Amino acid sequence: MLELIGLRRSFDDVVALDDVTFSVPEGAIVGFVGPNGAGKTTAMRIALGVLAPDAGEVRWQGKPVDAIARRRFGYMPEERGLYPKMKVREQLVYLARLHGLPADHAARRADEIVETMGVQERAGDRVESLSLGNQQRVQLAAALVHEPDALVLDEPFSGLDPVGVDVLAGVLRRQAQNHGVPVVFSSHQLDLVERICDAVALIDHGRIVASGTIDELRGSRARRLLRVEVSGAVDGWYDALPGVTLESEANGGVVLLLEEGVDEQRVLDLARASGDVLHFTRVRPSLAELFREVVSA
Amino acid sequence: MSDIRATDRGVWRVVAMRDFWVRLRDKGFMISTCITLAVISLFILVRAYGGAGTPSYELGIAVGDPQASAMVFAPTDVTAVIAQVQAAARARGAEVTVAEVSLPSVGQDQLRDGSLDAVLAADDTLTGRSDIPAALRQIVQDALVRDRIAAALEAEGASPAEVDAVLNRPAVEFRTVEPRDPNRETNSAVAFVGILLLYGQLFGYGVWVATGVIEEKSSRVVEILLSAIRPRQLMAGKIAGIGLLGIVQLAFIAGFALALAAVTGALDLPATALGAAGLVLVWFVLGFAFYASVFAVAGSLVSRMEELQNVLVPINLVILASFFISIGALQDPDSTLAIVASLLPFSAALAMPVRIVLGAATPLQVALSVTLLVGSTLLLIPLAGRLYSGAVLRTGARVKLRDAWRAAS
Repeated sequence: MLELIGLRRSFDDVVALDDVTFSVPEGAIVGFVGPNGAGKTTAMRIALGVLAPDAGEVRWQGKPVDAIARRRFGYMPEERGLYPKMKVREQLVYLARLHGLPADHAARRADEIVETMGVQERAGDRVESLSLGNQQRVQLAAALVHEPDALVLDEPFSGLDPVGVDVLAGVLRRQAQNHGVPVVFSSHQLDLVERICDAVALIDHGRIVASGTIDELRGSRARRLLRVEVSGAVDGWYDALPGVTLESEANGGVVLLLEEGVDEQRVLDLARASGDVLHFTRVRPSLAELFREVVSA
Repeated sequence: MSDIRATDRGVWRVVAMRDFWVRLRDKGFMISTCITLAVISLFILVRAYGGAGTPSYELGIAVGDPQASAMVFAPTDVTAVIAQVQAAARARGAEVTVAEVSLPSVGQDQLRDGSLDAVLAADDTLTGRSDIPAALRQIVQDALVRDRIAAALEAEGASPAEVDAVLNRPAVEFRTVEPRDPNRETNSAVAFVGILLLYGQLFGYGVWVATGVIEEKSSRVVEILLSAIRPRQLMAGKIAGIGLLGIVQLAFIAGFALALAAVTGALDLPATALGAAGLVLVWFVLGFAFYASVFAVAGSLVSRMEELQNVLVPINLVILASFFISIGALQDPDSTLAIVASLLPFSAALAMPVRIVLGAATPLQVALSVTLLVGSTLLLIPLAGRLYSGAVLRTGARVKLRDAWRAAS
């Protein structure tokens, strides 16, 4: 398990992180989301030891992380970087060796990872000659080449085409499920986070404002909404029930906001009494809606 | 995963090998090596074949009927003039071949095609093509004076032996109050080549360290590298790899130069040259160890190649000043300036080898110089490591030394 505990960090007068705590269990994929400038990159840089925290600590397998443990992490920084004039495969072998792999093992892994990331035809080319999308794939290969024990990826999906997104999502899932690797990545593509991640950590102004599984977030945060479509009912048929108000009208139906303690079945009973019920569902707020709700609060 | 190493102590070697091989295969490196080899070859070949040996000239003397022209010597007089020209040439350590030329052209064609350097006429004129070598002018002047003196003495009734005693008295004997180094001239030449090589190598490879650091900063790859290894390991590996390349290149150039000198006979003291090559290598290692960490810090302070010149100016000045002091030490290796420069760490790597080759440095001075240089290098490296660690991840504006110091842990 990778744990960030009570991280604080200021740059001059600006507080970038204010008591940031969350954890990434083994085999779990955690999405790290938050508005621009919320502190995601700072937290990830601290996790990798590239930046020192003012206070707090990063723990790995229950112990404060040291250089030897960090060497086994895979990292993709926000600002991408590779040697532009080095050939793809050569560069991956070098990085694998820096992460502690012996030469023959590093060579084998470099061959595997270029194939996984679909850039094997460009393995002999200089990085600078690749398209941006392919450079991004090589960058991801660089984070994965040494079979890391944990993965910390800053915006790994940005710049990938839909095929690349699927490839990377598959790779991350395999890393987590088959190898038990904790994976944390930041992203603004919230539908993607919702699809891939087991849990999210939501950061705003340097504070973790919500964390847990997406269902937990829905349960704790979201208001209960029902979309109901009743044929033949008079407008305002729902007014008879206390604690039920109109949220919006759409497509011939209504979205109703239920206060706490109001039984959904009572709403259904009333709807059936008012006419023919064509549609009756819970409205599950998307992560994007949760995000807006939490961040604007 | 049993084959994954639990320690990261040797990882600087992985860095060093990359920095070594990437640069060895670099086109710029190949070109600069070839240029250095060409310059050294030129120097050696000029010493071997150019300017060495006895200077020799071709002189024409106008001979003919003096009744027809005042320019020509009578055939009866010309033998004496030729004898005096050759005696004067011998006295000046030169060789003059004399050819007789006659009216009307008096050798003008030979002057134009270069087969004659000058033509002497009886009216005391010496004609050349566009110029006449100064030594030849002097020889001819001497010869005419000798001819007059000989004629005057003979007119007074002196015997040929008496005339010879006046004109050819033995050369003044040359002595010095201190013992003279018979190899001084060769040693100076060797030391000069040595300084040029050392200066080029120390500065060039130092700049290479700085640009290597900037390359990693500007491409942002440094953040990936430092997520795997520590800043000091990265700095140490880079310096070791580039330094190793410097040693290999120096050894190659020195081997080439020694072989060429041996084949052409440019150096009559192969042992001295071999010793000097060894000295250059040793002092390159000492000097590079001292300067390289400073260059690495300079590189870590800026993010773009364009800004490098600004941070390099102070280092550049120090190395350049050391270079000129060392050139001065070639002439006077025992001057106070030369002695001080050979002891101070920032100039010792250039000034001390010169004084050693010229036989001016005492063993005590050498020991002191090496001790100071190694000692200050050992002090400098941890300081540089800290500054480098504090600065290398900061991109954008130039990092102040004070901020770099504070940022590092």
